Amino acid sequence: MPPLEGYPVMDNNVSRRQFLGTIAAAGAGTAAAATVANAQSHPPGWSGTQRVEKIATTCEMCFWRCGVLASVADGKVIRLEGNPDHPLTKGRLCARGNAGTRLLYDPDRLKYPLLRTGKRGDGQFKRISWNEALDFLTSKLKALAAEHGPESVAFFPHGLSARFFSTLMKAYGTPNSAEPSFAQCRGPREVGYTLTFGRELGSPEPLDLEESKLIVLIGSHLGENVFTSQITAFATALSRGAKVIAVDPRFSTAASKADWWLPIRPGTDIALLLAWMHVLIGEDLCDKEYIARYAQGFKELEAHVREFTPEWAAAITELPAAQIRETARAMGTAKPAVLVHPGRHVTWYGDDTQRARAMAILTALLGSWGRKGGIFLPTPIPRGAFELPDFPESPRGRADGAGTRFPLASEELGVTNGLVDATVTAQPYPIKAWIVYGQNVLESIPEPQKTRKAIEALDLMVVVDVLPVEQINYADLVLPEATYLERYDSPSIVTTAKQPFVSVRQPACEPLYESKPGWWIAREMAKRMGLEAWFPWHTPEEHLAQIIAPMEISVEELRNRGALAFPGRPYLDDQASDAESPVRTGSGKIELYSQELKDLGADPLPRYTPVEDPPTGYFRLIYGRSPVHSFARTQNNEALNALMPDNEVWLSTRSAKDLGLRDGERVTLENTDGVKSLPVRVKVTEGIRRDCVYLVHGFGQGSKSLHLAFRRGASDNALMTHVKVDPLMGGTGMRGTFVRPVKDPTAH
Amino acid sequence: MARYAMVTDLRKCVACQACTVACNAEWDVPAGYARTRVRTTPITGTFPHLASSIYVAQCNQCDRPPCVEACPSGATSQHDNGIVGVDKSLCIGCGFCLEACPYDARYINPATKKVDKCDFCVSRLERGAEPACVITCTAHAKYFGDLEDRQSDVFKMVYAHGARRLETSTIRVGPNVYYAGEHASTDLVLAAFPPRPPRLLAAGQAWSRVLRPLVLAAAGATFLGQAVAFFNQLRNGEKDFED
Repeated sequence: MPPLEGYPVMDNNVSRRQFLGTIAAAGAGTAAAATVANAQSHPPGWSGTQRVEKIATTCEMCFWRCGVLASVADGKVIRLEGNPDHPLTKGRLCARGNAGTRLLYDPDRLKYPLLRTGKRGDGQFKRISWNEALDFLTSKLKALAAEHGPESVAFFPHGLSARFFSTLMKAYGTPNSAEPSFAQCRGPREVGYTLTFGRELGSPEPLDLEESKLIVLIGSHLGENVFTSQITAFATALSRGAKVIAVDPRFSTAASKADWWLPIRPGTDIALLLAWMHVLIGEDLCDKEYIARYAQGFKELEAHVREFTPEWAAAITELPAAQIRETARAMGTAKPAVLVHPGRHVTWYGDDTQRARAMAILTALLGSWGRKGGIFLPTPIPRGAFELPDFPESPRGRADGAGTRFPLASEELGVTNGLVDATVTAQPYPIKAWIVYGQNVLESIPEPQKTRKAIEALDLMVVVDVLPVEQINYADLVLPEATYLERYDSPSIVTTAKQPFVSVRQPACEPLYESKPGWWIAREMAKRMGLEAWFPWHTPEEHLAQIIAPMEISVEELRNRGALAFPGRPYLDDQASDAESPVRTGSGKIELYSQELKDLGADPLPRYTPVEDPPTGYFRLIYGRSPVHSFARTQNNEALNALMPDNEVWLSTRSAKDLGLRDGERVTLENTDGVKSLPVRVKVTEGIRRDCVYLVHGFGQGSKSLHLAFRRGASDNALMTHVKVDPLMGGTGMRGTFVRPVKDPTAH
Repeated sequence: MARYAMVTDLRKCVACQACTVACNAEWDVPAGYARTRVRTTPITGTFPHLASSIYVAQCNQCDRPPCVEACPSGATSQHDNGIVGVDKSLCIGCGFCLEACPYDARYINPATKKVDKCDFCVSRLERGAEPACVITCTAHAKYFGDLEDRQSDVFKMVYAHGARRLETSTIRVGPNVYYAGEHASTDLVLAAFPPRPPRLLAAGQAWSRVLRPLVLAAAGATFLGQAVAFFNQLRNGEKDFED
């Protein structure tokens, strides 16, 4: 593989003697002596004589797909850095990205295919060969198709590498595939914005943060939630003097930087959004020209929000009416360069599509969709494809309710909890097998008790993963996937960047142990199942070449540089002369009033629905992220675990006093169903409302095989035994859990 | 001669800790230790009128480094460009410099038994690369450069935008690490993480005059082990005395 050009001399083929000679010539006196000593240990793993190659690839420590350069010596990845050529992340890499080698070399990794020997849940396995494993899976899948139909197999994918297996599952004949990125994450947002603008936002979300004059964060905790380029843009905006409104029950990092912190009563965001609209419309602060040109339904909206005064909202949100007015006016002044951040994980209260609608409408009133400093528009890139036979149609349709029970759910991403329900109830038809690929169903889908019940009812459970997360204990067959640093994936095409780009994930080293890349697993299965027609390529390079064929770039250039960008047309003005309107709703206008929702029997304009209050003695459980962890995926990473081995529960000073709890004391959290968490330290702080407690997500893991992560901290997900499901799209409202801290009797 | 300095813009920094992990990877720092750490100050005020700031801690490459004075073996020394380095081949792991540092910027690597700390990635500088923390900073909040160069970002941030260093009326050792942002932020940092008076262990100073040439002569030889043991004993003895 050719190395990149233009990198510092030591990274190329330079002998140690030459290198030290250079230093000796450059240095002088004591400085030279000290630097020689330092140079000996630099970089780690580099003994000074090997050739160091840099491989440009795509990170997968989260899903943002940043550009990474892997330094490789003697087949070992010794260091990861950001790829300066990457159009989105420009050489920057977050804590997790920098810690990627610790995933690659994690001694706890899944190493061999495993077949269950003990009871389901016991974690007793025997090592088998890949041949045995794939033959076993083939015979099981064939038998399931014959006996129950291929739809009886449900697929739970996540990430780029699962795409090959997704093709296999579609070719096999099951429409039942669902990712948590929809019903546990950004689904309501995509639905709400599509209802309004006719287009979803997508990922990475197209936010023009760096050009923004006012950033409105509604529960978005940028800084604790880190996506490299989004943080770069946020910080750039701050340094250019952008103002920030942070709406959050907790004093987040973003709140600490905000000009206005609005510690809202949880669950009342729609009331605040309606009052903001009331002020903007009432005080004539909207972008009227923009609305006249692009939107429809303004009159209905105007009439709708007339009663929603800041005083009305103040009583609901527990925010001062003056502050609501002041922040609305700030938006009116800064428009259109106002970025109402749409959030990402937004499945909170079960009416989340309506909150997303309210945010989309607010964005439209400010004229900031498609405008500088607001939300920009995607620029498509031509994408090549193989000519594949049609996938078999399933006469029974989907089991997860996408398009039926949940009329606006994405049929591409599916509804995970819909598949769990179908498995438990055998409605609309029985689900007999799960193939879980890169997802952690016990940590990502709430009501894990129900998920366990579903798994127990299965005839077959297969897990494809890199790490032995808790769910493998329930699997009949475990397949060890190669990490992102050891494999090719389907190329990543990002249209939601100001310069759209394609990037490659390619191996920096050979897969360790007997782990295999996802493309290989899917292709080998296709051969056994007689489904090769859907895999008309032999190598991942061949696949890559076909996908990028219409882009007029070469495979070699893409592999050398890691990512290649194309000119973007991010603003409405850029697309003004296009034949197709940038607004893609049925009416061709931004739909402030949604006839589509009305036809579904839902509110055509968003309305505040009161949320349930915590019972006496209980607190609402809210949760979020840490910059050093990605969900429940990184707690076993030695470098990241060292920075944050467990979580703590935030509790307000006054509530702590009421409960007689001191800072640092250990408690368990008990929910209203009596479910208890593992012990967790209390963080007593002024920085949270009295009516809620806060945990960072992803801790309290139940897999003994994860030696660093096992039983460290408390799992928020395990406490979510009640969820309110969004009737429009199936999203699980995950902020309706009430807990009380109980002093941990085992603490000393 | 260059005078190197680093500036962290506290307005931009979001405490993502990319710098810590990049630095740890660059320098093979064992888990649990760090050459640079990110902290947040305790939240002050009464709900909902609150404030807190981020603090990025690292060696300040002080103009008058107490660690150099404290080092009995000559391992810690100041280069002409202002960077304070640790020559691992001379370090005896006595830890006197840890006591002397007002910023708690040093640690003893348990594997090598040598002291380690930030040196502005001097070996990267020599091959024309910026420090590992600077190139990875997701917020572009870290600036590195030469204060003698009037065109440099650090010069502008220090002399035009009033970046401050963490000094008190009593502890003024001339740090070359600066913090840009509102003064309220640096005030919070100073209140929460004040530099502490350097502790120079008197016995160590007296012995250093004798020991320094010996260590230099014996570097790499078995005598080193004995010296380490001797000094650790000496240091522990000193601690016992203080307690």
